[in-house]
Amino acid sequence: MPVSLADILALLPEILLSLGALLLMMTEVFLAGARRGYQALLAALFTAAAFAAFLAQRGGGPRVLFGGFAVSDGFALFAGATICAGLLVTVVLGAGFLAPRSAERGEFYALALLAAAGMCLLVRAEDLLFVFIALELMSVPTYALVAYLRTGDRPSEAAFKYFLLGAFSSALFLYGAALVFGATGRTSLSGIAAAGGGKLLLAGLALVIAGLSFKIAAVPFHMWAPDVYEGASTPVTAFMAVGVKAASFAVLTRILVTAFGAPALAAVWQPLVVALALLTMVFGNLLALTQRNVKRMLAYSSVAHAGYLLVAVAAASRGFSGPSARGEAVSSLLFYLAAYTLTTAGAFGALAALERMGPDPQPWDLDRFAGLAKRRPWAAAATAMLMLSLAGIPPTVGFIGKLLVFKAAVDAGLVPLAIAGVLASVVGLYYYLRVVVVMYMQPAPLGSVPTPASWPLDLVLVATATLVLLFGLAPAGLANAALSSTGLLGG
Amino acid sequence: MLHVGLAHFLAVGALLFALGAYCVTTRKNAVGILMGVELILNAANVNFVAFGHYSWGGIHGQVFALFVIVLAAAEAAVGLAIVLTLYRHYKTIDVTRAERLEG
Repeated sequence: MPVSLADILALLPEILLSLGALLLMMTEVFLAGARRGYQALLAALFTAAAFAAFLAQRGGGPRVLFGGFAVSDGFALFAGATICAGLLVTVVLGAGFLAPRSAERGEFYALALLAAAGMCLLVRAEDLLFVFIALELMSVPTYALVAYLRTGDRPSEAAFKYFLLGAFSSALFLYGAALVFGATGRTSLSGIAAAGGGKLLLAGLALVIAGLSFKIAAVPFHMWAPDVYEGASTPVTAFMAVGVKAASFAVLTRILVTAFGAPALAAVWQPLVVALALLTMVFGNLLALTQRNVKRMLAYSSVAHAGYLLVAVAAASRGFSGPSARGEAVSSLLFYLAAYTLTTAGAFGALAALERMGPDPQPWDLDRFAGLAKRRPWAAAATAMLMLSLAGIPPTVGFIGKLLVFKAAVDAGLVPLAIAGVLASVVGLYYYLRVVVVMYMQPAPLGSVPTPASWPLDLVLVATATLVLLFGLAPAGLANAALSSTGLLGG
Repeated sequence: MLHVGLAHFLAVGALLFALGAYCVTTRKNAVGILMGVELILNAANVNFVAFGHYSWGGIHGQVFALFVIVLAAAEAAVGLAIVLTLYRHYKTIDVTRAERLEG
């Protein structure tokens, strides 16, 4: 396996993230007595550097790294930049949320940076072995992050559930990978595509899809999501909802399009993905409807959004659409991932800003939003903007994302699926707008404790809401960047 | 005399997979569930090595299995730590009794 310096330099973003993680762990050893405010700054700096490294690598053509284990193509760079943006929001959220609870430690940022390094490797994996290693590098720190906050019994239970389902899904994926290897004798995605295979390959494909469906929380593999999202501390929930989902979607798309892109195979997995998308959109939205607990509502909402993203994956199958339609579908997936990352991270930020300190039996009840417009008008306006974007109402980036995904589905000949998606998002309007109504129309309940304002949380809220509005009003830049990032090597 | 071939190894792998999945879904003891997950990982390992040896030659399958062993150890370490925090809060590792979240 020839390794050149250029190969290693191509992994600069991941190297920066890992270096940052190691440095932050060292600060816990040598500088632990001092104030910890600098740790968030350090983590944010390394994240921003990794983000910049991803942007700087754009423009060079797609390249194979490490003799075919990984690639550096537009798809990986766009997804990686999206992940780093999500990580940046998580770091700021973590600073604003953990410091007042005196739970801020270097480990938190180190684990987040390590998990993000795994995610960035995952989106550029070109070999099932590389996929599995990156998948574990993403998952193992995330299990630990869920258990990070040790007050109350919610985090430990959530961490165990997440660990269990995560390990089970990794094992399913691995068993599927073993069958694919047995059928083709290859583990590289392009090698699998070239070899082809019979029934054994199909069994492997089904297990690989099932394993990754757990990670993206698609119905019927979503049972863990609401419990884990509720139990984890809010910055970690934001990180899981944003980073883990984006990276898993990217690798799912790459595996399906690159390794199983042959028309005969695409004809098998496309109906499967269509069924998953349909179930996920319908049940995600219906289950979110009944939630009074806003954190659970957002968890089900992120399940529903996985459904819309699966529509884009289904549209990317090559069997039924030409290469241009596939490019359109992949670019809509990337755009939606970026829009979803911004909006969902911001929405969990709103939740973190409202959370009280100390024990609270109903910390995320809808009532907590009552009268917010009077108490903190800016936070209320930002939250309203984020909710509108989640619901997919213009002029927000969420609307543009849905528009692009459904347009790609129609162009790929999946008209009924697009119609089902539009209907499902109409159902979604109800529970997103309910939050806005409660904020603006209901008075604050008597004797309610005002939550302490924390500037990093307000910064997250205002920054994400502004970006959501900005990209909604002028989506061309982001859309063009997504459109020029659809080059999947070997796809 | 019985000749042991690919089919036998695949049968062992499938059996391990089924036992692991059964263990994960029915066990109440958190450590028991962890063992179930390990069984599934090792089922995949048996398949990798068997396919590598009988179907394709080379060391590709064996190398994959080696990586999986390392990753499984890392995963088990974090998993046991999480079981420990679960025990600290609930004074039990019976997963049916450690339920505060709604689902």
